[in-house]
Amino acid sequence: MNKYLKVIVLYLVIFLGLINISSAEENEVKPSVQYDEIYDPIEPINRAILGFNFFIDDIAIRPVIKTYKFIAPDPVEKGVSNFFGNLREPIRAIAFVFQGEFLKSLNSAGRFTVNTLTSLGTFDLASRVGMTKNETDIGLTLAKGGVSSGPYLVLPIIGPSNLRDFSGDVVEFFIDPVSNNLPNREYVSIGDGLNARAEVDEEIDLIRESSSDRYEMLKSIYYQNRNSQIEEDFVQNLPTPKIYIE
Amino acid sequence: MKYFILPMIFFFQFSYAVEEEITSWFNHQSEKFLEIMNNSDGQNNENYDEYIKFVEKNFAVKSIAYGLIPESILAKSDKSDLKNYEVSFQNYLTKTIYNLSNKTNSGEIKLIDIDLKDNIYQINSKIIEGRDSINLYWKVASINSSFKILDVIVENTSYFVTKKSEFSKILRRHRGDLVKLTEEINKI
Repeated sequence: MNKYLKVIVLYLVIFLGLINISSAEENEVKPSVQYDEIYDPIEPINRAILGFNFFIDDIAIRPVIKTYKFIAPDPVEKGVSNFFGNLREPIRAIAFVFQGEFLKSLNSAGRFTVNTLTSLGTFDLASRVGMTKNETDIGLTLAKGGVSSGPYLVLPIIGPSNLRDFSGDVVEFFIDPVSNNLPNREYVSIGDGLNARAEVDEEIDLIRESSSDRYEMLKSIYYQNRNSQIEEDFVQNLPTPKIYIE
Repeated sequence: MKYFILPMIFFFQFSYAVEEEITSWFNHQSEKFLEIMNNSDGQNNENYDEYIKFVEKNFAVKSIAYGLIPESILAKSDKSDLKNYEVSFQNYLTKTIYNLSNKTNSGEIKLIDIDLKDNIYQINSKIIEGRDSINLYWKVASINSSFKILDVIVENTSYFVTKKSEFSKILRRHRGDLVKLTEEINKI
């Protein structure tokens, strides 16, 4: 069954890839959005899930993260972060192939080889020798091919996403060559999730304290970050206030 | 030919002078900001007045505050409500910067480059702390012959865009009532 599912997912990727090519040729990718009018048809459900996520975070995840950040020295935190980042290099290599970025794909594959062989991925030697890290994923591949983001989603435990990025995550789950061949994959996934949460700990604290509506704030931040990975002139394209004489 | 060359020379000299002026303003103000940050112990409000002065001097508070709400609401609101909103927003902005500064390690702010688009300067800089660095963009305009910050973009998150989303939601919830928005801002 699992084998058939993989085949279906691969077909889906290739099919979406073809759509991407045709639509990219027809019109230029224009992912700029009106940030205060993001398509959010299931907002009440999303808000409920976000409330649940913050509740779980308060009682279980946050205390673990705070303890970890208090105990672990910075080099250990950096090593753990590098380790999980390195596990994503093969999926980046695959995503770059679908984007037609073959040099970047080779770079990701090379980074994975160098960092795994030298330190099991805990030290980013590859960056030191000029193989800089390039972020991408299947969701971004779909976006660059012209697939629109679809409705905004808040996923239980995982957090903000949208239909396109969530589809990308599902595809990655099935085609990721590393995770699919690791024993106890669920533990690696939990570790990866906790590491991702630890990396944004200060930002989450800021959202808790300074936001009048943390749901809207998180949604806006999520879209800005994704768009910054899609658009080349992201900062220039951001809306700017009209000037009034002070 | 000389009619063409002379205006070109004048234009390039003028551009260079403006760029030098904004670079000097940026270096001076970022130094001043780090100085305020380093004098704060993060516990009490002894340094808060310095933040108030810094925001008053360097931020285009009115432009940011008015830009965060739809023009239709601006047009229908009376002057006293707008003034109250502007004052509340200025306090809110100051508090946000103050809280953020007390949580952040103060390193060095390094200017990378400056771009000009539609009369708005886009300053690309980095906050450097040891081996780590954070990308920081500033959108700055010359208003009344002094430079004022319109937006700060930290690691691809724009303050203006994020607040606009939040404020729009509050206004929609209260059917465009600016007084309610002001009350909500004051609560934070």
